Amino acid sequence: MGRLISRTLSRTLLALLLLVALAPILWTILSAFKKLRDIVTPVPKFVFTPTLENFATILLNPSIRDGLYNSVVVVGVSVFVGALLGVPAAFGLARLPARAKGEMQFFVLSLRFMPPVAIAIPFIVIYLDLGIYDTLLGLILVYLVTTVSTVIWLSVPAFERVPREIEEAAAMEGCSLGEIFLRFSLPIAAPSLFGALVFTFVLVWNELLLALTLAAENGTLPVVAASITSLGKEVPWGVINAATVILVLPPLVFIGLLMGFINRMVAPGRK
Amino acid sequence: MQPRRFIFWTLAPAFGLLAALALISIAGALYFSVMDRSLRYPDYDFVGLYNFERLFGDRRFLNALKISALWEIITVAGSLLVAVLLSVFLFENTRSATARNLICLAFLAPVLLPRVAAAFIWRFLYSPTLGLINYVCELVGLGQVEFLASPSLALFSVAAVDIWQWGLFFTVILLKLLETLPKEPIEAAQLDNARTWEIHAYVTLPMLRAPIISLALVKAVESLRSFDLIFVMTGGGPGTATETLDLYAYQMGINLGGRVSYASAMSILLLLITIVIFTLVWRGIRKWAA
Repeated sequence: MGRLISRTLSRTLLALLLLVALAPILWTILSAFKKLRDIVTPVPKFVFTPTLENFATILLNPSIRDGLYNSVVVVGVSVFVGALLGVPAAFGLARLPARAKGEMQFFVLSLRFMPPVAIAIPFIVIYLDLGIYDTLLGLILVYLVTTVSTVIWLSVPAFERVPREIEEAAAMEGCSLGEIFLRFSLPIAAPSLFGALVFTFVLVWNELLLALTLAAENGTLPVVAASITSLGKEVPWGVINAATVILVLPPLVFIGLLMGFINRMVAPGRK
Repeated sequence: MQPRRFIFWTLAPAFGLLAALALISIAGALYFSVMDRSLRYPDYDFVGLYNFERLFGDRRFLNALKISALWEIITVAGSLLVAVLLSVFLFENTRSATARNLICLAFLAPVLLPRVAAAFIWRFLYSPTLGLINYVCELVGLGQVEFLASPSLALFSVAAVDIWQWGLFFTVILLKLLETLPKEPIEAAQLDNARTWEIHAYVTLPMLRAPIISLALVKAVESLRSFDLIFVMTGGGPGTATETLDLYAYQMGINLGGRVSYASAMSILLLLITIVIFTLVWRGIRKWAA
């Protein structure tokens, strides 16, 4: 009997935890399909006639479409360049003597300590003087700090796990280091590297402060979304929810990948 | 190409770029912090340490310093506490691998959300008139709670969202780590009739000391980026009840007349505090964990 009670109790608690994790997201998605009068009710409505109005408002709104376009360009280019520079650097780092490697890794990590405001404020003035304030180029440039450093930080372990024997055998066959990198290490480490890129993508896709300060007209999607609240007098909750859903979708697509990435990171036999 | 030269060329572009950008922003902030530059006027002068002197007499700055420290403590401690409790609970109470994996997927969802989106989701839930949480509060007889408008509650309400994102994420990581631990010490403790919580408190969690500390460090670094969440949820208000340093620097440097120099002085101080604390902690941990 006591067993049964404790089992039921733990089941209930589990269900409650799942509710806390997911309900906020699901509720927002649900509300994105509601008319405003179905949202502004004293008792929350679960049954209602769904509408696509909110999504139409969002997608027809030019500022949101521009935001989406800017986000895709800025995030795409900065992650691509981050990979182009960061992945080879991680390969190089993994081969340095332990001491030098540790110091350089600490430098990369310490960039993450820099408060974004400390980057943003001097860069506003510099960009204004250079005439690249409020341009996509300017945003991409500051995002490179995040993408290059994150790619390096997450890719070093991926290259460290490539079996030494394979690289040594390739070297015996007369392959140069460049060939070893391209033909052996890179393909073997590819799954982990992909995870690292996804993580980097999520970081910059979600970024608000730098985009808010360094761009005015050419903001990214988070900036545009953050500014919706001030559309008109009444808070357009349906529209806000629809915008939230659009903002949330790209990162959520990668959830399975992130899971695999975590599994590999904690897998035994590292170090 | 020689191996050493190849390695040099893999490292040079990435580190060159990082060093250049970091140097520009730090040098820029240092330079502006001793000037009186503002975005409104084109010319400016050298004023020495005047901006720093003013900072220490600025009550709003001291308040922001306090709020930032509070924010760090609440979110780091909260996320770790949630992660430790929930991971142990899940480890003990879910047996099938499929169920566990599904729960992990659900727990990973919040951390992937853009902060702006998470902020909107919870502002909607917290809303006094149409929010789901306040509906529940009224059902259980608490009445309407002003989660974001009450000065004493607002910081905790926003921190709860941060913990919702990071605590659940860390739960998944800790759960995976618990699964990788060797079974023998746990079985030995079970033979000694140790209770479940004793096994975890004295056997498994101490074995995970090093990863838990690195999680704490990661969280502490990420908590410094409180801006997005707070900016959308409360904008630093009510009053200055949730105004952290980065919010105040943003308000000063960009929103309120662009007092770039004053904001630069603030970000230099912020940078100094962060670097000193984290370098000390990082070195300390390396010694301690080794």
